Amino acid sequence: MENTNSKREEILAAANAARWDMGDTFHDNIIESIYEDASRIARKVVQQKGEKEAYSFDLKVDKIVTSRWLGFPLMFLLLAVVFWITVAGANYPSALLASLLIDYLHPVLKHAADAIHLPWWLSGVLIDGGYLSMAWVIAVMLPPMAIFFPIFTLLEDLGYLPRVAFNMDSLFRKAGAHGKQALTMSMGFGCNAAGVVAARVIDSPRERLIAIITNNFSLCNGRWPTQILIASIFIGSLVPAQIAGIVSAGAVVSIAVLGIGFSLLVSWSLSKSVLRGEASSFSLELPPYRPPRIWQTLYTSLIDRTLIVLWRALFFAVPAGIVIWLVANVNIGDLSLAEHFINWSNPWALFFGLNGVIILAYIIAIPANEIVIPTILMLTVLSTKLSGIGAGSGVMFELDSVGDTANILHAGGWTLLTGINLMLFSLLHNPCSTTILTIYKETKSMKWTVFSTFMPIALGLIVTFFTTQIWNLFHM
Amino acid sequence: MNTQNILQLHPGWMLATGLAAIVLLSWFFWPQKGALAMIKTARATKERVHLEDALKFMFDCEYKNTPCNLNSIAGNLNIKPEKAGTLLERLLEMDLIRMNEQQISLTDTGKSYALRVIRVHRIWERYLADETSVSQTEWHNEACRIEHHVTVEDTEKLAAQMGNPVFDPHGDPIPTPGGDLPVPKGVLLSEIKEGAVGRIIHIEDEPKNIYEQLVVLGLYPGMQVYVIDISENKITFAADGEECTLTPLFASQITVELLSDEQRITQKHELLSALEIGEKAEVTGISANCRGQQRRRLMDLGIVPGSTVTVVMKSASGDPIGYRVMGTTIGIRKNQADHVFVHRKRKKENEYA
Repeated sequence: MENTNSKREEILAAANAARWDMGDTFHDNIIESIYEDASRIARKVVQQKGEKEAYSFDLKVDKIVTSRWLGFPLMFLLLAVVFWITVAGANYPSALLASLLIDYLHPVLKHAADAIHLPWWLSGVLIDGGYLSMAWVIAVMLPPMAIFFPIFTLLEDLGYLPRVAFNMDSLFRKAGAHGKQALTMSMGFGCNAAGVVAARVIDSPRERLIAIITNNFSLCNGRWPTQILIASIFIGSLVPAQIAGIVSAGAVVSIAVLGIGFSLLVSWSLSKSVLRGEASSFSLELPPYRPPRIWQTLYTSLIDRTLIVLWRALFFAVPAGIVIWLVANVNIGDLSLAEHFINWSNPWALFFGLNGVIILAYIIAIPANEIVIPTILMLTVLSTKLSGIGAGSGVMFELDSVGDTANILHAGGWTLLTGINLMLFSLLHNPCSTTILTIYKETKSMKWTVFSTFMPIALGLIVTFFTTQIWNLFHM
Repeated sequence: MNTQNILQLHPGWMLATGLAAIVLLSWFFWPQKGALAMIKTARATKERVHLEDALKFMFDCEYKNTPCNLNSIAGNLNIKPEKAGTLLERLLEMDLIRMNEQQISLTDTGKSYALRVIRVHRIWERYLADETSVSQTEWHNEACRIEHHVTVEDTEKLAAQMGNPVFDPHGDPIPTPGGDLPVPKGVLLSEIKEGAVGRIIHIEDEPKNIYEQLVVLGLYPGMQVYVIDISENKITFAADGEECTLTPLFASQITVELLSDEQRITQKHELLSALEIGEKAEVTGISANCRGQQRRRLMDLGIVPGSTVTVVMKSASGDPIGYRVMGTTIGIRKNQADHVFVHRKRKKENEYA
């Protein structure tokens, strides 16, 4: 035994000494010779037939898709169509789900609870809190997810998305990121959690981390309704009624574009500062075009997304709903917890052109951006003691008429500045808890999870602070 | 609620305070130049650092047979001669060096201590070069900073992960854990004859400003050099076919291994990035400046000497460019294609392939 050991050491020492003589390149030489052998064998035994033709068709398509003049317009047109189909197509099923789950099923459940003499607080916590919040997330989130992601997957299957990454790469390279971040960003417009998962396609560690951290700057599905509502109340009302629709849509799009700007800016500063030394490499496979497997794609992405939404609704929205109901109904003295917090935070929230209701809504609605507006409305009614509106304290609600919603917000002291700041803060705040959890799962790092959670809040507070102070400077 | 009533402060003051806060924070946290970074560097310069650096330097002198005295140590560590004096006394006390007359030499303990620090330093340089994006001119400084803080065990783990490298990225051999080093090889570029052919095996990374200029010239270990002309104050040579002129001082930073039987490279490399759409070429090599993950990726994709590459498309903004290699199309950025050497195929050869 002793002998073999010493012999082994001897051989290892000899091998190490030999490596000094061989120099630094012998690993490469081995790879080269393996490739050489492989290609020699392949030449000998493989016959190629007919591949040429299919490939030349690809070349023709690529010439158009990546051309200097047509490449970008084509891409924007296609993305616009995808978004339009999503927004337009989701309207009807969303309304249907809302009327079924919220308008019809919620009262039925309440009556049932009364019938079996459930205490008011238990039915409040479970039905007004947990159930309602879950119903909201499903109604708002499910239809757009079920439409957006299958279309996206089809485009990928077709082979078009890699060309988008190919075209967009030069922009992202300047920001220190990977062209494929264009894809994860677009996914983020559907759902940030899905966008974070999609960052797996980026094989370079540094660029992948950048894509994960900045995905939150893509305005996700849950935030679009908030933006559209606030824009039509506060910005649409500034202009004549005929163009109000276009102007408020323009405002929402500018917020989304601002988000893309922040995404690039933050990518750039990350790659220049904290992530400067992380390993980075680039390569992009451009697969051949092929007919997409439509049914399979539709089926799997529908099932997958539906499951994500339901899981999210159950595990995050239900607890959030319970907390929301509780803060509105647990009283200390003669005020509820919510009112205590709102009164305490109102003075400093005004530095940022926001108010206590908004701050509280964003804290307790971390699990889902979809319930921010219903929560804000409920809290506003609660704190201003408006009567005859809403469904009672702790019960989230939304109104069919934009005008009525506007009245509530105006009664809560909202101005045009509050509206603008809410839109900015809705873009620049922490990701929802599903996304935070996904970021942790994907990066396996507490540090980056915490960073991705708080960095957007800090940015949001900075941006709203300066917006407010500059606004005040001109309106003193 | 009225905004103006609650906000007592003038927004001008608020703006000024906000801006000042941002300026202050960025001054503090700014990478490399900020106050936080400064505090970190200041704290790193401790006695142990100086001791280890002095040992390293003395070992290097013995290895290369160059003189070593108080002044050269002070110069290398960038400290005052008096301070270097106290440092040497301390080393004497610790029985790491011995002195007779003006000659300073390492004791056996001193030597093995120095070798341990050198091993750690070079392994980390290798790591920085291969597994991170830290720039070439920063490897040395970064490794100098790290070497005094990491444990030997961590470094051994790192070395095992990288397949126990035997050279650092400048071409210096890495001592074995037992402290063995090969006999120094090669001659200085400043000392070889006209017409000689050799291969660069080492580029000295200190002083930093000379090294930076050699990096800018694109010189790296592995290049073939052919000395064209030597005169009083300059040496002209071809490095991989590209003509280059250096002063003897600069040339003395480069170590060359003489080659007698190798074919001289007469032509400059053609670069993959220089090809036009539709052109075909055979890959002849990847520059040694393309390292680690980046290099492995290119090779994984089939960019190895002997394979044929065709330029198929340009992205809408001109960079990256799509290449067809081994039956698939891949997009590569220009700064990567700059690292790939190719040999253009003539039209006739095209029909063949």
